[in-house]
Amino acid sequence: MIETVKAKAKELLESGNIQGFLGLIEKNGHIAPHLFTDPVELQALNLGDREKAGDARYPLTKYLIQIAKAHPEHIFGILVRGCDERSLKTLYNWNQLDPNQVVPLGFACPEELAEACECLQPYPDACEAGEKVSGRSFEGVAKLDAMERGERFDYWNEQFSKCIKCYGCRDVCPVCFCNECSLASDDLIQTKTFPPETPLFHLVRAVHMAGRCVDCGLCEQACPVGIPLRTLYKKIYAIMDSEFDYQMGYSEEKSPLNLL
Amino acid sequence: MNYTTALTTCTYCGCGCNFYLEVLDGKVIGTIPCKTSPTNEGKLCIKGWNVHEFVQNPKRLTKPLIRKNGQLLEADWEEALDFTASKLKEIAGKDGPDSLAFLASAKLSNEENYIYQKFARAGVGTNNIDHCARL
Amino acid sequence: MTNSVAEIENAGCIFIIGSNTSSSHPLVATRIYRAKEKGAKVIVADPRQIHVADIADLAVQQNLGTDVALLNAVMKVILDNNWHDEAFIRDRTEGFEAFKELIDGVSVEDASALTGISAEKIEKMAEIYAKADTASILYCMGITQHTTGVDNVKTLANLAMLTGNVGRESTGVNPLRGQNNVQGACDMGGLPNVFSGYQQVIDQASHEKMAKAWDSGKFPREVGLTIPEMITGIEQGTVKGLYVLGENPIVSDPDSNHVAKALEKIDFLVVQDIFLTPTAELAHVVLPGACFAEKDGTFTNTERRVMRVRKAVDPPGEARQDWEIIQELASRFGYPLHYESPKAIMEEIAAVTPSYGGISYERLEGEGLQWPCPDPEHSGTVYLHKDKFARGRGLFHPIEFKPPAESTDADYPLWLTTGRIFSQYHTGTMTRNSPTLSSEYPENFLEMNPEDARELGLRQGDSARIASRRGEITARTQVTERLKKGTVFVPFHYVESSVNKLTNPAMDPVAKIPEYKVCAVKIQKDTQSA
Repeated sequence: MIETVKAKAKELLESGNIQGFLGLIEKNGHIAPHLFTDPVELQALNLGDREKAGDARYPLTKYLIQIAKAHPEHIFGILVRGCDERSLKTLYNWNQLDPNQVVPLGFACPEELAEACECLQPYPDACEAGEKVSGRSFEGVAKLDAMERGERFDYWNEQFSKCIKCYGCRDVCPVCFCNECSLASDDLIQTKTFPPETPLFHLVRAVHMAGRCVDCGLCEQACPVGIPLRTLYKKIYAIMDSEFDYQMGYSEEKSPLNLL
Repeated sequence: MNYTTALTTCTYCGCGCNFYLEVLDGKVIGTIPCKTSPTNEGKLCIKGWNVHEFVQNPKRLTKPLIRKNGQLLEADWEEALDFTASKLKEIAGKDGPDSLAFLASAKLSNEENYIYQKFARAGVGTNNIDHCARL
Repeated sequence: MTNSVAEIENAGCIFIIGSNTSSSHPLVATRIYRAKEKGAKVIVADPRQIHVADIADLAVQQNLGTDVALLNAVMKVILDNNWHDEAFIRDRTEGFEAFKELIDGVSVEDASALTGISAEKIEKMAEIYAKADTASILYCMGITQHTTGVDNVKTLANLAMLTGNVGRESTGVNPLRGQNNVQGACDMGGLPNVFSGYQQVIDQASHEKMAKAWDSGKFPREVGLTIPEMITGIEQGTVKGLYVLGENPIVSDPDSNHVAKALEKIDFLVVQDIFLTPTAELAHVVLPGACFAEKDGTFTNTERRVMRVRKAVDPPGEARQDWEIIQELASRFGYPLHYESPKAIMEEIAAVTPSYGGISYERLEGEGLQWPCPDPEHSGTVYLHKDKFARGRGLFHPIEFKPPAESTDADYPLWLTTGRIFSQYHTGTMTRNSPTLSSEYPENFLEMNPEDARELGLRQGDSARIASRRGEITARTQVTERLKKGTVFVPFHYVESSVNKLTNPAMDPVAKIPEYKVCAVKIQKDTQSA
């Protein structure tokens, strides 16, 4: 699969259709986000798998926002999984990226990763490499839904109380781009405190992500204290789906909440 | 157009978190925690996530300063280095090497601390070297 | 640290004492939360109810400076119940009898009165720690910044040896180093008594070895001055010139009014830094260096892991690489140095430093290496003291409780302790020049218990005047249940309200570490700016 991706990226760069390809590269014994401009470098391209599938995933679409803004004259190729494609769609919708400036190169995630992510669609619509495997359902959400309300409330409070206020969930998020963050708004929560206000800090962010989250799971991976954020946001997905018939990351238009 | 990522180690606490500094056209624009780091596995604290912010602060020192008539004034490197070396030499010559003292730094690299103590010991001739390990 | 950070997550018990881990070492705290998830018991002993105490199985708030009393009582309970590890004590340690004699004379009730912790909780602590298969102690400046800092550390070592919790995975006595390269600065000989790799300056063989390697035997075979001794030397006129590399002693040192006075008096002060710090403002020459993002090199973290630092951008303006500045000064001083790069310096470090012997830039790609790493084939050392201690057998030290150097009285009735907060770092030189970080806590504050606040007529946000026997500052009041009555807390990051004007410069006689964590203060409402 990786050879197909390398070949396609090479073709894009050599044809002059793109001026840079944002992907991942093996260097310094690690896997790093990298903007390929020379086709020769593509030999070291990596899909984000070091010891196991997808253990070195990065929010490439987020990095592309700044690069593309600084260089409106260029067109960029970008390596995308299913979740990255969903984030691209969301960023187009919110005018953070111009689809005319972006050429996605999609590949499918393997079984193992689809399972670990409980991903509804572990491949992009435009999939140019890899075997598509079927989507999974949200078992983690179902497990929490099965709890008694009081037990569930305690569970989440206990999880949120571990927060060390790194803001990593926001900083890693491919669809967090607001100039003024609601987590810094005194009208919504008590700011300038440590630990942050529980459970409000995380609920404010969760509500803000309604209509935006694309279920990439990078927030949970970035959390130093292991708060199951992905499960929280999957629940938001389920609510948006059942109450508004809106599928976050999959629906083509902006969420109905954004019209309020 | 030049976008690069440099894998490095945090300058704040002793955890030793690894991250990439994102550089766009010569400016540091962000910090990306390294997912495969043995110490932080793709996570950071608030200080780490924002460590790039102070790097290009306009208050950074950009020129040597020498005190003249009570005021710190900009100087060129030749003058600053010559003046410093000659003052250190003058004091060591007059009152002995132990009249000089050196503060090493928990912020600087191993290589820098090593040649600094080498300068103090082998160059100047004093063991008066310490840093804020206790603070 | 004797052990590695990743091992913490597999410990059966984690005993955190004098470390506000989730604020000051967040990525070590990660492992504590994971361990808890896996079923570990967590004990926290800290004068404040720190954040990580919220998940503890047992959290106690000891009175300031009573750690030895607490730990000796814990060991008394362990011995009385035969929870100690006889085989470990027999095979790996010495001095147990004298130690046991001291502990036999300890009264848990007396300790309870001294520490403010109930006997029941002391017994519970002992039981949880001693009965765990693997127990890991994490400590930080809350243990060391005392006039009894060395006693505190030795007492923790006694506890670990008593229960056989040393030299195995997920055990140990683990100090969390506060600064990114404080470990490396010590390893590299940035200390008055040792060359790199802790080779003693007083040792004849080490002296000869380094004199040969450096082609200069100018340095004496006597230990040099520590920072507090340098300050005294300046005052007495024996130290006339000071070269400060990337440090800010005016804010970081205790009784800072006194330090400032000394530095104002010195004949020649050179400061090499990245910002014009309060210390640099007093300098005769200021040399602009490079920050971590602008240099190649290595840092050594708290678990002895040597890791690469890589240059991302050029230093601003005419600022230069620090190693180049030092090299230039050395050469102009009359000791020419000709390194081509940090890599070349590391080659020399490896050649003269046994514990770094196998370290090279090539080998640091990937995960880095944990010293001791004596040769290029050695894969590094994950945990120390595996089969024996550095000195052979582990030595029990009978340590008696000693009170802090300063006590509260009618004039100074409250206990003050100091520390870091989650969004700031040390003297604030970097963090307060970072907009995101400085927006979290833009100004200094005083944390106190609601009852103390009520008695003093202070409300949330009120400006308070805090005075010790050495100085006075003002800070905004934060009322919190996380402190118990009689103890207050002020962070040390804010130069305009520098708590180190209040702290006590009394030092541990051996480690020369000042007693930042305990002093007596009086507080009143600041009617002028409130």
